[in-house]
Amino acid sequence: MNYFQLFGIEASFDLDLQNLSSSYQALQKAVHPDKFAHASDQDQRIAVQKSAQINDAYQTLKQPLPRAEYILVQRGVDMPNEQHSFSDTGFLLHQMELREMLEDVKQASDADAALLEVQRVLSSEYLQLTQLMRAQISENNSASNNAACDNLRKLKFYQKLNIEVDRLEDALFDD
Amino acid sequence: MAYSEKVIDHYENPRNVGSMDKNDPTVATGMVGAPACGDVMRLQLKISADGIIEDAKFKTYGCGSAIASSSLVTEWVKGKSIEEAGKIKNTDIAEELALPPVKIHCSILAEDAIKAAIEDYKSKQSKQGK
Repeated sequence: MNYFQLFGIEASFDLDLQNLSSSYQALQKAVHPDKFAHASDQDQRIAVQKSAQINDAYQTLKQPLPRAEYILVQRGVDMPNEQHSFSDTGFLLHQMELREMLEDVKQASDADAALLEVQRVLSSEYLQLTQLMRAQISENNSASNNAACDNLRKLKFYQKLNIEVDRLEDALFDD
Repeated sequence: MAYSEKVIDHYENPRNVGSMDKNDPTVATGMVGAPACGDVMRLQLKISADGIIEDAKFKTYGCGSAIASSSLVTEWVKGKSIEEAGKIKNTDIAEELALPPVKIHCSILAEDAIKAAIEDYKSKQSKQGK
């Protein structure tokens, strides 16, 4: 049973998060340890395993990037090892520029505005790439799946950058 | 996680940070990235007419190990021929910096950056030859 089947939802990148969340809660309730307090050791163990599996499935499907990766892997797309270097020069040059832009925020006369500008650029590019990946996932042929996989790897650079942005935001406005 | 003294040294005093003109025909640029951690590394080599690396600069956005790996590589490649530089292995880098297993990919990234730079140089050379 795959993760989508587990929650009884259609295997698609676009999913109803509300629906996923209520299905998750119902499933977790059914395997809650309280219900198995008087059950055999084996049944208790199975319930714990089931609960962990439901949790893994939920964590994977609720976030767009892990969800996309799960769908692509299920389709048999050969995901390159994450440790594998990425060498799309144009993309990486742009990533470097974005990181330099973020670095300059601290020195900007109006750090608040500079940070907002970085966030605006990042979220617009992230959205654009996500839309592209979404279309490729729904197209679902071997070329589009590979292209989606490529864009997924690119999106991971944005994800990392967003973590840096959040960190900087905390540092700037904490004191 | 504890970093080795050598990693900390390179991290705190990185060697050869900077950039060169990527359009200069004698400058080779290698760009690599690691989706797993979002690290981005740029290595630039200034190469003489007889294929000797005269200067090296890097810029890396990443963890301490990634910065140390690229800093170390700029020290190692200077004065080497591009063939010699191409033989530098990630295991040499990892060993020199005493990188823990979870940070081996940083040394792989640095090795790949050298290879990418050499490839860029060769493609520039072949374009000039036309």
